[in-house]
Amino acid sequence: MTPGLNHYLVVSALLFCLGLFGVLARRNLIVIYMCLELMLNAANLALVAFSRFNANLNGQVMVFFIITVAAAEVAVGLALIVALYRKRQTAHVEDLTSLRF
Amino acid sequence: MNSSLLVIEFLVALLGLGVLLADLWIAPSARRTLAYVATTGLLLVFTIHAGALAPADGTAFGGMFLVDGLANFFKSIFLVAAMVVLMVSTRFADRLNGYGEFVALILFATVGMLLTASANDFILMFVSLELITVTFYILVSFQRNRLSSVEAGVKYLIFGALAAAFMVFGITLIFGSANSTNFFEIAAKQGELAKSPVFLIGLLLTFVGLGFKISAFPFQMWTPDVYQGAPAPVTAFLATGSKAAGFVLILRLAYGVVPELSAKWSHLLLGFAVITALYGSFCGLAQRSVKRLMGYSSISNAGFLLLGIAAANDTGSSAVAFFLAAYVFTTLLVFAGVTVVTADGETDDFSAFGGLGQRSPFLAAGLTIGLVSLAGVPPLAGFFAKFWLFKAAALRVADDRWFLVAILAACVAVVISFYYYFGIIRAMYWPRHTAESTPVEPSIPVRLAMVTCIAAVILMGVFPGGLVSVARQAVAGLGPATAPAAHAAPPVAAH
Repeated sequence: MTPGLNHYLVVSALLFCLGLFGVLARRNLIVIYMCLELMLNAANLALVAFSRFNANLNGQVMVFFIITVAAAEVAVGLALIVALYRKRQTAHVEDLTSLRF
Repeated sequence: MNSSLLVIEFLVALLGLGVLLADLWIAPSARRTLAYVATTGLLLVFTIHAGALAPADGTAFGGMFLVDGLANFFKSIFLVAAMVVLMVSTRFADRLNGYGEFVALILFATVGMLLTASANDFILMFVSLELITVTFYILVSFQRNRLSSVEAGVKYLIFGALAAAFMVFGITLIFGSANSTNFFEIAAKQGELAKSPVFLIGLLLTFVGLGFKISAFPFQMWTPDVYQGAPAPVTAFLATGSKAAGFVLILRLAYGVVPELSAKWSHLLLGFAVITALYGSFCGLAQRSVKRLMGYSSISNAGFLLLGIAAANDTGSSAVAFFLAAYVFTTLLVFAGVTVVTADGETDDFSAFGGLGQRSPFLAAGLTIGLVSLAGVPPLAGFFAKFWLFKAAALRVADDRWFLVAILAACVAVVISFYYYFGIIRAMYWPRHTAESTPVEPSIPVRLAMVTCIAAVILMGVFPGGLVSVARQAVAGLGPATAPAAHAAPPVAAH
């Protein structure tokens, strides 16, 4: 049996939910960030599948844009997390408590 | 390729690169000149944009990029907001390490906003929104040596990336069901797409991403924290430019791309609008930090604006455009005052504003006008903006009783917000205990920016007619029937 569009979409949706679960459940900023990347890549997988099965290359173009933007986001995001670690000696979300009313 | 349409964006991007280069040669003490140069440059771009040299309406890059009335209207807003923010930020320059980069980043964020105003394709929409968001990650945490600034940056990063992930997945589903990412092509087949559940889920997820940008309930969690932690000029830009960028896309999607669906979903939008407005008003009551309070005020105003989107009529779309123009000037005015006060003192607590009436009468007067306009007292801009939005919703009361409930709830939100806006004014003129007595002196660029904002707020309130007709023209091209027919044809001929 060759995998069809639906197989790819199910895998993509599973990856997305896995990433979302990680963002909500994990407490380490780096792990949360990895889960966010997983969500973006779930979308990439679905885009490539749609592109292949609908014979429309626009989806693959979009994938390139997403990869580029994600790379920029990671560069800035990791720098921010490092800056926070230097300041606070922690990368856990429970410790982000200086902003309260 | 009709790339001459992008002349405004090119010029601002070049200006940003020029500032980045010039920063290498300029002595650290003279970095403030970069902001003056950038403001002058933006003023030149603005004259091009508003004058005869402006690009004519049309599309470029295979229909991805669109210049129309709505785009031009919002581009004016973004350019003005960037100019005011730059001028005000000169007062903050001593507290920002690497001020040259700060100026360049503001300019790059402006390019992103200009592109969102012209986005006519989900790909360009995503990339330009990310250009704004990633730039703001850096801007929010620009005071690296202050823990609250870095913490606000990390919070914005996590929520921003989450919203981006939802939006990307939404766009994927839209692409999958419509087999296109172009707004016109999707608008042309919205009837059959409305029956596809994949398309509907995709659209909802895209609105999640936009809801984050405009800080609508339930995606508003980041707003108070980030507003409080970010440097004051950045908060000002976040509250005006970034929010308006979200709303220009919501306007375009709701009124131009899927008007039939948004009319069908108007109860959903109405519900979110009311909850957002009430949430912002109630939670603002207990605040002692002025920047945090402005965060809740921003949430509350997003609720009022969503009311105009939910109304789904011509009055609604033009009222949203008018409200945003008025809101940008009003908010910038308030934040100009907040910037000066927080640049001198460590805190933005109510006590830092204590006795400002004596310490700087000009600053206190400017802040008062801004806050009174935000509260919606006639004859200032904020009053007319709210009035028109409520009128747009009132026009729907006849055929839908729920709009009456929504208007009443929004009025409650307005009345509650009176309490906290006037709390700041009371602290300025009738402080409980005068903690500070050192006079604060706004510099000349800040004065200039504030006088411009004050004039705009008063003029828009007293003579709203001019801006009303401009706003009406801006949204005129958004109609469901006209958009694809009027604009889709030129790109084919241009290639």
